Amino acid sequence: MNKNNLFDLSRRSFLKISAGTAAMAGLNLPKSAGAATDRQLSTLIDLSLCDGCENLKVPACVAACKTINKDKIPPVVDNIPEPWPRKTIEDWSKKKEVFNRLTPYNFIYIHKAQIDGKTIFVPRRCMHCDNPACATICPFSANHKEKNGAVVIEQNQCFGGAKCKDVCPWEIPQRQSGVGIYLHVLPGFMGNGVMYKCDLCNERLKEGKLPGCIEACPRKAMLIGPRHEIEKEAEERARAMNGFIYGNTQNGGTSTLYVSPASFEQINKTMQKKPGQPDMKPDVVRRMAATDPLGKAVLAAPALGVIAAGALNWISRRKEQLKKEEEHHD
Amino acid sequence: MIEKILAQNNLVVRHSRLELMEHWAIAISGLILLFTGIFELPIAKRYYIITLPGLGWSADFMTSLYLHYAAAFVFSAVGLFHLFYHGLRGEKGLLPQKGDAAASITVMKSFIGIGKEPPMHKYLPEQRLAYAGMAFIIMMLILSGLVKTYKNIYAPDLSHTMLLWATWIHNIGFVLFFLAFLAHMAAIALRPNWPMVRGIFTGKVRLDYARHRHSLWLDEIEQEKNTPAAVSDKTTASEETDPAEAPQPIPQPETPQPAGEKVEDIKSAAEDDEKPPQTET
Repeated sequence: MNKNNLFDLSRRSFLKISAGTAAMAGLNLPKSAGAATDRQLSTLIDLSLCDGCENLKVPACVAACKTINKDKIPPVVDNIPEPWPRKTIEDWSKKKEVFNRLTPYNFIYIHKAQIDGKTIFVPRRCMHCDNPACATICPFSANHKEKNGAVVIEQNQCFGGAKCKDVCPWEIPQRQSGVGIYLHVLPGFMGNGVMYKCDLCNERLKEGKLPGCIEACPRKAMLIGPRHEIEKEAEERARAMNGFIYGNTQNGGTSTLYVSPASFEQINKTMQKKPGQPDMKPDVVRRMAATDPLGKAVLAAPALGVIAAGALNWISRRKEQLKKEEEHHD
Repeated sequence: MIEKILAQNNLVVRHSRLELMEHWAIAISGLILLFTGIFELPIAKRYYIITLPGLGWSADFMTSLYLHYAAAFVFSAVGLFHLFYHGLRGEKGLLPQKGDAAASITVMKSFIGIGKEPPMHKYLPEQRLAYAGMAFIIMMLILSGLVKTYKNIYAPDLSHTMLLWATWIHNIGFVLFFLAFLAHMAAIALRPNWPMVRGIFTGKVRLDYARHRHSLWLDEIEQEKNTPAAVSDKTTASEETDPAEAPQPIPQPETPQPAGEKVEDIKSAAEDDEKPPQTET
């Protein structure tokens, strides 16, 4: 797709929406996407449009993603250090071509669900959550969220402990052992590689380009745009197809909205969950939300300490003064 | 002034109940923070810590975070309380003084039999230096922890530069806090410091020990006592009779004190104690 084609999309596409927005803002496309890197973006994946590119060997979105990220992971060391004491090594460097699941070399895949004899094709990748636990509790802050909503792992800061994968409800990040900063610290005892996942093509967004998967989709099943516009579009589409939305409430809300004519209970039921192929449970609770009230108390704690100090000092001084007065009277 | 000599019991009050509570609140919450902070690293599964009895939860980062927050609430509140309360009251006994570094070396050399300890105040020079170091580490941990907590709740998209600063200050602070804790334990393990240990549990240390090692402090107490506004400690002493307390030999073989001196000291203190209460003139 060339840049000119970006202006010729269907009425329902993001770029149409963005064209309107951009025209109002005096911008032209696709610069608007770049201009939007500091404001929150969302993506929409319309399952009524995605056909999984069954005519292609590799779906277009997957192929585009692979091409863009083919040189992302540096060469893996010949002898990957054996972690101690648990000897788990995850090496995908000899299976780079795998495209039917998430791997460190494959950030998007098509997950199939069978409903009433019909196949639903679900492009799966990082949801880019609104408050992503994978990023907020990364011990080295290698994983972080950008202002535009993209959740990005800085590969030169990640030790590959896989904590982000543990706390992700969909276990999205994938580890490649034998690369990264841990090799230069204590490779046998600390860290085990680098975690990889979709970063919403954040670098491309900065350059005013669209994410590879969205740009490559031949059926315009994926869109990106300002959050409120995408939310509005998702609601409109869901209403029009009497369908369902996934991603707006899951894990406390995400910036990826799936719109589907079939319910996500049905989709999830027929989806096979395997390593690297997460399910789509409709009721995904943001576990970290349970810690928020206590976290707010922590933020208030210093002020409470200062107030208590002031109050107790006043009481002590008052007592001392009264005592002195009593002694004086005696 | 909370410090007072309880001569009949051969004791001297070193810490108030409030100070003991502050110390233990910081110590216990600090240890919980240390362990739950370690469990925020992905090590519990890798190192089979989850297989240890009672530590099955250690690989659950949310449980660790919950405990970390609970301890951080106490740690931050008490840390700031300590700073402001004692600051407002002008209590500066634990702040480093000029010459503390050189005096610390002299004290440490005396531990290995080189020279004699100089007469000391309530706190040893190295205690004052250690306090300043620990206070700095704790403040770094609290400030960076607050930024991280704020980010967790309100600003997951906080500037990455600021986040990296907060994270690395917190991580380095964690290592320094752990080392400072080890140093604190090592200081307690030194025999000459043993008599001070009971002080942090009961608030009192032995008078003969204090007279021997913290003579400047006792001078201050006695000077305070002899000022017109001072209150006699005789009543307090009789109220706090502890028959189990008896003069103990000072566990400092390097600088033994003649037994007679101790008896004299105690006798002298007891005599002081028998003086009528001071009244305003």
